[in-house]
Amino acid sequence: MTKGVILFANNNDEIDYVRQAIFCAKQVQKYLKLPVSLVTDSAEHLTNKYPKLVDTFDQVISTEKIQVFQRKTFRDGMGKAKKLPWNNFNRSDAYNLTPYDETIVMDTDYIVCNDNLSNCFKLNDDFMIWKDAFYLNPIGEPWEIRNVSDVSIEMYWATVFYFKKNKKTKTFFELLKYIKDNWAYYRWIYQIAPVNFRNDFAFSIAIHIMNGFEENTNWPIKLPGTLYYTYDRDLVEDFVDNRFTFLCANPNEKGTYSIATTKDINVHIMNKIALERLIESQGI
Amino acid sequence: MNEKLKNALEFSNYMVTYNNQKRILKQKFLDQNVHYASGSSFKINKEFINFINLLLQQGQTKDVVIIDDNDNPVQIEDFKSFVETTMDIYSKNVNEYYTQLKTIKKRDIKDVLGR
Repeated sequence: MTKGVILFANNNDEIDYVRQAIFCAKQVQKYLKLPVSLVTDSAEHLTNKYPKLVDTFDQVISTEKIQVFQRKTFRDGMGKAKKLPWNNFNRSDAYNLTPYDETIVMDTDYIVCNDNLSNCFKLNDDFMIWKDAFYLNPIGEPWEIRNVSDVSIEMYWATVFYFKKNKKTKTFFELLKYIKDNWAYYRWIYQIAPVNFRNDFAFSIAIHIMNGFEENTNWPIKLPGTLYYTYDRDLVEDFVDNRFTFLCANPNEKGTYSIATTKDINVHIMNKIALERLIESQGI
Repeated sequence: MNEKLKNALEFSNYMVTYNNQKRILKQKFLDQNVHYASGSSFKINKEFINFINLLLQQGQTKDVVIIDDNDNPVQIEDFKSFVETTMDIYSKNVNEYYTQLKTIKKRDIKDVLGR
C-alpha cells in the first residue's frame, strides 16, 4: 500500500499557494516522513520561480487553469480586507488525482509540526476528517463555526482529511463532485447563506447524505489529534524552533490583540497574507 | 520586534494569556494521550487505565476484547504488552504536561508564552 500527502495549490493574483505548498511539504517531510505530491494549475510558476525546489515534491500533477468567477474575502488581521479570485474546485478530484493508495489531503496553510497524523495509517478506517476544531484565540468565540448554517447540519473541516481507496470512498468523492456541480441546489436545501462554493460545506453535506441523512454516526471517524486554527482576522508573527506566535484579534475592540503561542502543534493558519510574510521570512 | 507585537505584549491581560496557554497545553496532552493499536484508537484516561489494569489483575493476558474510541469491540492479542504500552504513553505524557505547565506558572508574560 503506497502512502502519501497531496496538496492543492491554485495561485491567484496575490496569493502564492505554490510557495505555501513548498513550505507545507517541507514540514510534512520533516515530521511525517511521507512523499508529498502537488496538484496545481500553476506548475509553470513552480518551475520558473522555484526551480531548485521542484524536487520537494514526489510528483507535480498539473491541472487545467479554469476561469474562476467566485471571489473570497482575504483579511490580514483587523485591517482592510481584499476580494480575490478563489479556485477551490478540484478537491473532489482527490480520489482520481492521488498517486497513493492511502492519502492525506491537506490545505497548504496547514502547517505540520508533529507526527500525530501518521497515526492515520495505524487505523483500519477508510476515511477520517475533523468535525470539532480548537480556535487558538481565547476570546474569538463569536467567530467560531460549528454548523454549515445556524439552522443546518454540523460542519466538517475539509482542511485535512485521510482516505483509503475503496468502493465506499470512491462513491463519496463522486457524490462530492455531484454536490459541487449542483451547488446552487444543495446550498438552498441545506440553507447555506454564502453563495461561494466551500469545500467544508460540500464535505459536510456529502457525509450527511452518505450517513442516511443522520448526524452523530461513527463514520467518518475523527483524524488523530485536534484541528487547531487561527482565522484571517488573527496574525501569525513568527515561527522559531517549531513554536508559532499568534496575535489573536479581539472581536470586541478593533485593532487589539492577545498573544498565543503553540509548540509542536499543527496549526491551520487562515490568514494567507500573514502566512506569506512568515514563509518569506523562512527563506522560501 | 514588530510594533503590534510590542504593544500587545505590553497590554496583554495576564490571566487571559495564561488561561489560554493552559487550555492549549491541556488539549495537546489529550491529543498525545491516545494508544493506537490493532487498527483502533484508545483514549488514555484514569478510567481506561483502571479498567485495563483490572482485566489484567483478573488474569486476562491474551486475546482480550475491549471497546475502542468509536464504540467498536476490538480484540487485543497481547494484552499484557498493550497495558504496559498504555502506561508508558500515559507516564511520558503526564510528565511532559507537568513540566510544560510548570514553565507557564510564572508571573512574566514571556515565560507564559515560552518566548
